[in-house]
Amino acid sequence: MPVLETKDLTYQYGIGTPFQKTAVEKVSISIRKGEFLGVIGHTGSGKSTLIQMLNGLIRPTGGQVLLDGKDIWAEPKKIRDVRFRVGMVFQYPEYQLFEETVWKDIMFGPKNMGLSENEAKERAMEAAHFTGLKEELLEKSPFELSGGEKRRAAIAGVIAMDPDVLILDEPTAGLDPRGRDVLLAQITQYHKARGNTVLLVSHSMEDIGRTADRLLVMSGGHAVMLEETKAVFSKGEELEKLGLRVPQITKIMQELYKMGCPVDPATLTVDDAFGQLLPFFKRKEELR
Amino acid sequence: MAFLEVKQVRFSYDAQTADAREVLHGVDLEIEEGEFVALLGHNGCGKSTMAKLFNGMLLPTAGKVLVGGLDTSLEENQLPVRKQVGLVLQNPDNQLVAGIVEEDVAFGPENLGVPPVEIRRRVDEALKAVEMYEYREHAPHKLSGGQKQRVAIAGIIAMETKCIVLDEPTAMLDPKGRGEVMGTIQKLNREKGITIVLITHYMDEAVQAGRVVVMDEGDILTSGTPRQVFQQVEFLKRHSLDVPQAAELVYRLGASGVKLPEIPLNEEECVAMLRRYLAGRAGALS
Repeated sequence: MPVLETKDLTYQYGIGTPFQKTAVEKVSISIRKGEFLGVIGHTGSGKSTLIQMLNGLIRPTGGQVLLDGKDIWAEPKKIRDVRFRVGMVFQYPEYQLFEETVWKDIMFGPKNMGLSENEAKERAMEAAHFTGLKEELLEKSPFELSGGEKRRAAIAGVIAMDPDVLILDEPTAGLDPRGRDVLLAQITQYHKARGNTVLLVSHSMEDIGRTADRLLVMSGGHAVMLEETKAVFSKGEELEKLGLRVPQITKIMQELYKMGCPVDPATLTVDDAFGQLLPFFKRKEELR
Repeated sequence: MAFLEVKQVRFSYDAQTADAREVLHGVDLEIEEGEFVALLGHNGCGKSTMAKLFNGMLLPTAGKVLVGGLDTSLEENQLPVRKQVGLVLQNPDNQLVAGIVEEDVAFGPENLGVPPVEIRRRVDEALKAVEMYEYREHAPHKLSGGQKQRVAIAGIIAMETKCIVLDEPTAMLDPKGRGEVMGTIQKLNREKGITIVLITHYMDEAVQAGRVVVMDEGDILTSGTPRQVFQQVEFLKRHSLDVPQAAELVYRLGASGVKLPEIPLNEEECVAMLRRYLAGRAGALS
């Protein structure tokens, strides 16, 4: 059974005003338990509205969101539980830190769920470990941390609630290349260790290419593709029409494939491309 | 004399206090009028501090910053310096102040005391330059990120500054928005001769500049054309910087004994080079 499912999910802003606009229209998708799903789409494609509906932050104006088969709005009073189970890390989450110490900030979520001080502490410890926060930082004020550390503390706060589904909206925006690589590795590691479902929203096709199992492509409020990452990235021309593109390495491999090189045109990482090209080029080198 | 001159500049946040933290350790840099310079470096290397020193928002703790020969640390130079160097920041939502696009663009020149007729001309021209003229009567908060950044850039153009410093202007934008902003920056540099200093983490943006300056730990490590700088793949990686995937691939093939002539800067160059190699030629780019 899928962990999350949407049926004709629709959201209209400003109903009954001159500014009425359909942000998401009749989206029916099914998210598999334990998958790493990438979500792409240009600004205004409806992806932010969609993910906010997935964790019950906004209520659909039409259709349903099913979590483990149950409509999350069947009992509106229990919507808080949905938000604990579908954890959301917003863009620039470090702006939401507010507690006196990093510890307290990370424990805020678990305590709100009704866990005891000790349980919350345990969860916070584990979450800090997943995001690579050193123990000595936990006693500090969040405002004393560097930008990258703050980002980790904010993500740890959501992970500490141990959600079944973790949604991250542009978690690497504004980080430098190393910070980005480390954070992506930690998220991948977390996904493997916990086996829960992760949704990663990103504008970086390179980041998506090396992490996601499947990709959801949003455009004009519709879900236009939901397929294996390789399958989506082999449709370069369609993506370009949607204001998106394929990772640079994929583009290169597609061109080489067209020239008759024995390579996979849907290669997603430099490692993979290197592994395929090296034997081929070595043979060429020997023939010289 | 260069347009921007940074001479032996040191800078500390909270100078004079026990928490003083020096982030620039004696930087020297000259930028000529009309240049397009990309400034690279990992978070915390001091590049955003440099951006704020260029227009006098921050003043050096030691050393001097000269803009068109004017020392930014002298109070009487403050306004003349800001008339010459405009700053565009990462988050477009923090930079737009008015409820209508053209009013927002007019905000800068109004503050400079430019006469109304002249403001009208400048606003129209600036909006045309960033291709946002049709949106002049729209509300800024309803625009896309790329459009908002272009409006922010128009606000600087309307002040007729000679130089625009952009601190990660595309960090929050989607690929289309990034393309729009980069197109605008290129055009302003080429057609209007505006000096550009672009701070970025995106190597595919840095390769579009005329010169790349790499910073680390509050110092300048290296400076050169994109082609010169991006040949040094190992060096860049050691300083937490990235290279485009095309460069990484060719670098690794080269390190494993495949004789490719140089590191390509983008996918087109990479494909052309590999094609020539496979056709049995040496594969040099030009």
